[in-house]
Amino acid sequence: MPACMRTIAGIICALLIAGPAAAAAADKGLTVKGVRYFTYPGFTRIVFETEEAAPYVLTRSSDGKTLYFSSYGGPFVLRSPQLPSINDGVVKGMELRQERDHRSIIITLGPAAGDAKDFVLRGPDRIVVDVLRGAAAAVAPEAPAAKAPVVVIDAGHGGMETGIVTGQGVEKTLTLDLANAVRKLLKKSSVKMTVLLTREQDKPMTLDERAAFANAAGAVLFVSLHAATGQDARVFILDPDEGQASPSPGGPSDFQGYDAMSEQQQMLWGTQQARHAQESGRFGRGMARVLTASEAAEPEQAPLAQLKAVDSAAVLIETGMTMNRGKTAEVIAAEIVQYVSEKR
Amino acid sequence: MSVRNDRRLPGSGTLVPAVMALVLLAAGAGGYLWFRASRMPQPAPIQQQEAMPAAKPDEPFMATLYLPAEGRLNAAVVAVKRDPDVQIQARETVAATLADDRGGTVAVLKELKLKALYLDAAGTAYLNLAPVNAGQKELRASAEEELLAVYALVTTVTQNFPEVRQVRVLVDGREAQTLAGHIDLSRSFVTRTDLVRTQ
Repeated sequence: MPACMRTIAGIICALLIAGPAAAAAADKGLTVKGVRYFTYPGFTRIVFETEEAAPYVLTRSSDGKTLYFSSYGGPFVLRSPQLPSINDGVVKGMELRQERDHRSIIITLGPAAGDAKDFVLRGPDRIVVDVLRGAAAAVAPEAPAAKAPVVVIDAGHGGMETGIVTGQGVEKTLTLDLANAVRKLLKKSSVKMTVLLTREQDKPMTLDERAAFANAAGAVLFVSLHAATGQDARVFILDPDEGQASPSPGGPSDFQGYDAMSEQQQMLWGTQQARHAQESGRFGRGMARVLTASEAAEPEQAPLAQLKAVDSAAVLIETGMTMNRGKTAEVIAAEIVQYVSEKR
Repeated sequence: MSVRNDRRLPGSGTLVPAVMALVLLAAGAGGYLWFRASRMPQPAPIQQQEAMPAAKPDEPFMATLYLPAEGRLNAAVVAVKRDPDVQIQARETVAATLADDRGGTVAVLKELKLKALYLDAAGTAYLNLAPVNAGQKELRASAEEELLAVYALVTTVTQNFPEVRQVRVLVDGREAQTLAGHIDLSRSFVTRTDLVRTQ
């Protein structure tokens, strides 16, 4: 481990373990079964699921840009086949590093990262690392001071994930073009709103990152744009069976005011859309009717991975690749304007 | 001088006749109840379902496949090699669904092969799928195509095998987020009849 780093936490967690038992636990090392992360407006939470409570070390490099997570003694085993891909501004990425006989997980922090705190939860055993969003980055950079409603337009696919490829084009490019066209029209609208794109260029983004982006921006509406062959448009909303009701608040809170009992944030992630089903359905119905020019059109319900974690009204629009893109953008923008004006 | 110990309980002289009377009374009541019961109309015996004639091993299994076509699933009956094992029979049926040309409008089905099918005791069938081309990293399909592809497999399995209550879809033996970037595979699937085209 580099000597330049300073220890911010060298926790002999083991919780109730003390004395010789602690030494024995240290010898056994630390086995991580899985790694998950959650992006919240104020911080990013990384959860290491461990096989059992064991001592660990979390240190931060002297330049403050990296966290090192490893066992306190004994082997450090990572059973998870892969580490999650994080890039939410607070955390830039994670990787497993082997230096001689020492293994550790390197957490690269982003420009928005502030302090890091860690704690242990039991049943099942977890080590939680919270990287706080720094004061300078507390406000989303693109969000203006005025509290205009935020609309997030998501250009589907990106990077290596091209989406479908036809003679009319590549889906990732068409969706980005359409997203830009919709944003341009919305900015001209008399109804004040902040329009954010999940991606401005051809880059990969996970579905969770897109949802986290919208949630962190406090979006009132999330519109994901996709494309399909042909000239028909379809509007999808989340299958109502997807996601259960959110856990009721009121349990014991951790130091940040988030429910710490049984780590309910974990249950919350992926179920956020359930409480917006009605709004999504209403917006989706309106969008389906204008896009298909049919008063009987209804949005299609599907278990969409992309929408389940979005904490606002959310739809996925699939436009035909041969549709007139300019007109399609106008129709989508007009429906968004109407929705936002009704919400105000 | 002898002492006489009288060991009889007071009044025990009447005990034996009383017990005998009670036994006779109980026997009489039992006989009466049996007589009544035997005269009451008896419920008709539960009609046994007419046993299906056992299929001969060489007879094919007639499976109903649900194949994507024009935004919905079309039912099509096909003959599949019969196997007494439900798992193997279900596997043959899923393989037939993936191979059927009538589902060709949804190309993603053509890009998939079934590596394994496991049915657990709770009635959950696990379909372990993999790209036909092992090196293929990305399956390309629209949201609608992916929705229909998943439910073609789910509906085919659940409708042909009553033992299957729900279906989980794995990719290369692991839980995957999606097949082609849209449909959430972290959940269990049940039949969606609204996707099946009514004739």
